[in-house]
Amino acid sequence: MKIIRIIAQVAVLYIFFLAGDYLQKLMHLPVPGSIVGLLLLFILLLFKIVPVKLIEDGSLFILAYLPMFFIPATAGIMNHLDIFSGRGLMMIGILVASSVLTMVVTAHATEWITVRRTGSRSRSKITVAREKGSEA
Amino acid sequence: MNILLAAGFVLMNVGIYLFMSMLYKRFRLPVLLPALTATFTVVVLLLGFDISYDTYMIGGEWINRLLGPAVVSLAYPLYKQRHVLWQNLPAILGGTVIGLLVGMLSGMLMAVGLGFSKLYVLSILPKSITTAVAIQISSSLGGDSSLTSVFVMIAGFTGAIGGPYIIKLFRIRSESGIGIGLGTASHALGTAKALEYGEQSVSMSSVAMTVCAIVGSIVGPLVSWIMYH
Repeated sequence: MKIIRIIAQVAVLYIFFLAGDYLQKLMHLPVPGSIVGLLLLFILLLFKIVPVKLIEDGSLFILAYLPMFFIPATAGIMNHLDIFSGRGLMMIGILVASSVLTMVVTAHATEWITVRRTGSRSRSKITVAREKGSEA
Repeated sequence: MNILLAAGFVLMNVGIYLFMSMLYKRFRLPVLLPALTATFTVVVLLLGFDISYDTYMIGGEWINRLLGPAVVSLAYPLYKQRHVLWQNLPAILGGTVIGLLVGMLSGMLMAVGLGFSKLYVLSILPKSITTAVAIQISSSLGGDSSLTSVFVMIAGFTGAIGGPYIIKLFRIRSESGIGIGLGTASHALGTAKALEYGEQSVSMSSVAMTVCAIVGSIVGPLVSWIMYH
């Protein structure tokens, strides 16, 4: 019976995707319809309008097999094989450099914000402050 | 006939994926990641049997259609971890917004500087965002989904393999810094690495990854507009 519940819940997620897509086109949003659907579902979950049980098994199922769903899209790389040779290899350098920069800046921005908010100059106190929860 | 062909490609896809994830579970090596090995196998088979991408996509399209609900399903883990999100909202939002801007601009500027075409520049824009969302952002901006998907993998491997060195070299000390940094720069692969730095890192990383997907899909069009207008 679990399999039927999963299929039904995936159908519910699909309806949220369609609703998000519809809203996106209706309001000419620059954001993909699926993200509008995600936000819609998240808000309805927060306000308990949609019970979490209605999408739990379907979501866990999809998330467990997530990488499978983008194999077809990724396989399109067979039409762009030139990026693995010659000048294309520079792209890998760019990606690595930019990713390292992203991680370093994000991490330090995060720590800076946390330190400012807790009013503490010592970074070792960050974790303590956060463990106390909402007053931090 | 087309239906049979499509079903055949779908079955092939599922079979290869399941086999590759078994292999990954057995050896746990980053290079055996199913997203990488399964895609590689599919591409090799198609090239080997001289099947065009368009023919394969008769079936591939069926699986592609599930990407929409797959993105929607990310609402579930975000909801489950809403307390982590609320308690650290300024750090998570601030960190991801700054990180996304730096990541998108630095990647695009370097690509423009080295003379890559607009297709490549737009495809590199969402590289730090989880694949399912990144390829949708890319195609809606005029990039190429498959290029983006490969770029996202490379960004992921940078964090998953280079993460420990980056953390040491650039003195990232708090668990929240490590988690949000890995999640923002390297999505799910970074989050998997965050496991090694404690529970707080993982939950921060996974929340940051989802927030990044949402914020990135808003910031992305803005950045591309700034670059090309």
